[in-house]
Amino acid sequence: MELRLSQRILLGIGFTVLILWSIGPIYWAIATSLTPTPDLMSQPIHFFPQRLTAYHYERLAGFGYIASNDVTVALQFRNALVNSIITSVLATVISVFLATLGGYAFARLTFPGRTVIFFVVIATIAIPGYTVLIPLYRIMIGAKLLDTYTGVTLIYLSAFLPLALWLMRSVFQQLPLSIEEAARIDGAGRLTILFRIVMPLAAPGLVAASIITFLGAWGQYMVPLIFSPNKTKPLTVLIPEFSTKNFVDYGLINAGGTIAMIVPILIVIFLNRYLVSGLTAGSVK
Amino acid sequence: MNKLLRTTVALAALALAMPALADDAKPLAGQSITVLLPSGQSPNIASDFEKETGIKVDLQMLSWDDIRPKLITGLIAGTPPADVTEFDWSWTGQFGAAGWYEDLTPLIDAESIKDMPTASIFTVDGKLLGVPYANDFRILIANKDHLAKAGITKMPTTIDELIADAKLIKEKGIAEYPLGVPLSPSEGTSTLWYLMTFAFGGDLFDKDWKPLFTSPDSGGYKALQFYVDMLKAGLIDPASTGLKDSDVHQMFMDGKVTFDLGVGPGWVGAFEDKTKSKIAGSTTLGLVPTESGKTVSYGLPEALGIPAASEKKEAALAFVKWMTSKDEQIKLAAEQGLLATRTSAFEELNKQGKILDGDVVIEQAGTVGPLFKQGTPTWYPQFSSAVNNAINQAAKGEISVADAMKSIADETAKAQQQ
Amino acid sequence: MSLSAVLPARRSREKGIDGTADALLGLLLAAPIVIAMVALVLFPVASTLWDSLHRVNPMQAGTPFIGLQHYQDLLKDPIVNEAWRNTFIYVVICVVLETAGGIGAALLINQAGRWRRFVLAAVILPWALPGVVNAVVWQWIYNPAFGLLNGLLVAAGLDFEKYVWFNDRTVALFAVSLVHVWRMLPLTAVIVLAALQSIPADLYEAARIDGASRPKMFTNITLPLIRGGVAIAMTQSTVAAFNFFDEAWILTGSSRGTRPILVQVYLEAFQNLHFSYGMALSVLVMFASLAVSLVYVLRVQRVTRLD
Repeated sequence: MELRLSQRILLGIGFTVLILWSIGPIYWAIATSLTPTPDLMSQPIHFFPQRLTAYHYERLAGFGYIASNDVTVALQFRNALVNSIITSVLATVISVFLATLGGYAFARLTFPGRTVIFFVVIATIAIPGYTVLIPLYRIMIGAKLLDTYTGVTLIYLSAFLPLALWLMRSVFQQLPLSIEEAARIDGAGRLTILFRIVMPLAAPGLVAASIITFLGAWGQYMVPLIFSPNKTKPLTVLIPEFSTKNFVDYGLINAGGTIAMIVPILIVIFLNRYLVSGLTAGSVK
Repeated sequence: MNKLLRTTVALAALALAMPALADDAKPLAGQSITVLLPSGQSPNIASDFEKETGIKVDLQMLSWDDIRPKLITGLIAGTPPADVTEFDWSWTGQFGAAGWYEDLTPLIDAESIKDMPTASIFTVDGKLLGVPYANDFRILIANKDHLAKAGITKMPTTIDELIADAKLIKEKGIAEYPLGVPLSPSEGTSTLWYLMTFAFGGDLFDKDWKPLFTSPDSGGYKALQFYVDMLKAGLIDPASTGLKDSDVHQMFMDGKVTFDLGVGPGWVGAFEDKTKSKIAGSTTLGLVPTESGKTVSYGLPEALGIPAASEKKEAALAFVKWMTSKDEQIKLAAEQGLLATRTSAFEELNKQGKILDGDVVIEQAGTVGPLFKQGTPTWYPQFSSAVNNAINQAAKGEISVADAMKSIADETAKAQQQ
Repeated sequence: MSLSAVLPARRSREKGIDGTADALLGLLLAAPIVIAMVALVLFPVASTLWDSLHRVNPMQAGTPFIGLQHYQDLLKDPIVNEAWRNTFIYVVICVVLETAGGIGAALLINQAGRWRRFVLAAVILPWALPGVVNAVVWQWIYNPAFGLLNGLLVAAGLDFEKYVWFNDRTVALFAVSLVHVWRMLPLTAVIVLAALQSIPADLYEAARIDGASRPKMFTNITLPLIRGGVAIAMTQSTVAAFNFFDEAWILTGSSRGTRPILVQVYLEAFQNLHFSYGMALSVLVMFASLAVSLVYVLRVQRVTRLD
């Protein structure tokens, strides 16, 4: 469909607004993280940093000029980064594995209570975190799982499994039944069908569920604050610590925040296709 | 620090930490405890303590705002959030009533308690629930350069002088808004208003916990009226309604504020740190100015407490004693700018010339009393929240000063009944 | 893991008696999920429900059973009601802005041609970022003196020098909502986009031959056909806005004028130590949120059935 010039201009304005709205704040955070601290407090503000510095990143990485307590900052930061990756990956792998098994069962197998169980599990998405916080803490203490990867992973599991399950079920429902029926006639068992035939077909859905779970776990704050106080502390809990009672280190906060944003940004850039299909699979179909 | 001094400090601390077990140097060696403190602590705490006692410390740090939810979650669940935890003065009423913390009275020697005047703030019904490790009380901090440029040679001692100085600085274009006052709905807004209430000759409550700030000639009323007037006169930044105390300190460090009102000597370290502050070298301290000219202050110390549910109380106690010992206090003053809680440590540091305007600080320290004479009440959080919300609304011009004071009184009455 | 060890042995039986084998396998595959959800969600919820019927206040001795007392008090608590009101305002602002903005964004992306992938990635980004980091970034943007927003408005010649966004209650409610909208709008956009793409192109072709104008095509073809998707997106927005916490807490703290209901839960339970009172409120939030979700789930089921 050919567009008139006026329509093209209108469309152009629309795109500009949309892109600025979405990326502007992210640009501003990155620009702030690259600005020397004294320049941050200048008026009028500069939309582009007048001078660039990697100082805040150097402090996080632990090289370059090192102030007395920066060794600890760098060490804490490295640990937090590793913890964020470990807990998010663990939560993703286990959630998606269980969701795949369960999703197949809820989509293809008839068993007593199927509908009720499914809706109860999905309904838990609506439960606010505070409602379960204290009892959950008692459970974790009792099982001696506080500040362990197992403990945090279990909690993430309970939080992200429902969404992953919902997604995987709808992915399986959308696959044509005929292939499975053909395999069954050939004498393949249910599990062979699931792992050999259905799973490869559902791969894009699997990737989508993984991305959504990973991003969810990566951005968690309240859960790790309570359940990962030290050894398993992730980035999201560490970053606010750069504001102490006496001094708020905006440079470090923005640099740390930028690093915490890089992983999601990379995922969106490279895996967006799967992400979009995943976000819509559960809701439209 | 040279090696000899380090050894001396270590030995002295050890002697202090283990007076009863002097014959066996490390009786608790091999044990491990968790310690939960706000971020910004010296990174050497865990290793130094382990070196001296053989007790392994798992030092957990969280940002100040995150400490409390973390503590409460553990305490309500009936488990120790750590073996030694931060214990803020404002929690005393609640934590005391809940019986969550070990009574340390029989465990800390009377000599030490006498050396720490703020220990009384952590005492509920004769039980000492925390040993103060970080002192904080209100004082006036100003930018020396601004004062010099305006030709002001002495720190203001009365409110009128403060206003006159601020006006002069504004007129000369040295600072657009000379008075730094946090007015957002946050704790720092409340704590400064308490101080200003005292500065205007008032008090918060009478002995039956009846509010003393509702009549127009009361200190609290005048304090809020002072804010409103200063906002109108352009001496307080109207943007302050969105600022927490840490934001105001940041503006002071950027040279945008002449007088930082809601501050304690503990911040001097940050103000004088060249990597953080643009005005390093220009900080000066003065006594809190009042309506009458007779200075006032109150304490907001932080302590170390041992949750009653802790299973490693002996090792935890050793840590508390070590961190609050005179030598460690002196060392932490150098390492992280901690303000010593022991009078002896404080005097020692001043003698060594380590405290900026030390004589002023000591004089102000002498006027420090508790915020609440009967001890921090259990409904303190509701009271504080009512105070900062009402002040914020009055500063924004949404409600009158009289209505703000009435709403604080009403909220307090409600909280007292619950 | 133990699963794979158990299952192969069963396979021979499965093939024989299909129905029972399927049912057994189904239960077995669903079992880990059921166990995890019961242990880590349903049991804690039940425990909180039970607590909310007692007076659990660490500062008072004992935990007497008080029935629905807390719930009765909650209905009469003016501060709680104010927080509910704020939450409803957030829900309305967020749902309206996210829906309108999301449909707009989806329509634009649908027209993007070869730039599509790039635009779509850019639009999704805000949703993918950690919520806490978002709020901190926006706090810096709203900064009266050094923030981007006032900087831009001043550069545009408007009188916004040192304008404080959180001073006026109405403005503050909008400013806080905007951060939430920024994060959640991508979800609406993506859902609506998928619905847009399922509309057959020949419908527009036919309409064009009939001489229909673009606005006409939008109201007569596009809107009715994306209605299902929009409704789902709106319900999703509603649930998310109900559970509004991070943005309000970081941007305006405990300010009563902008305090959403979950912040009230936090303050009652963790600050005032009226533990079970706060828990009772969280149970109410849960039921409210569940009621909204139920609409969502039922609609999904209806849409699924239509296919």
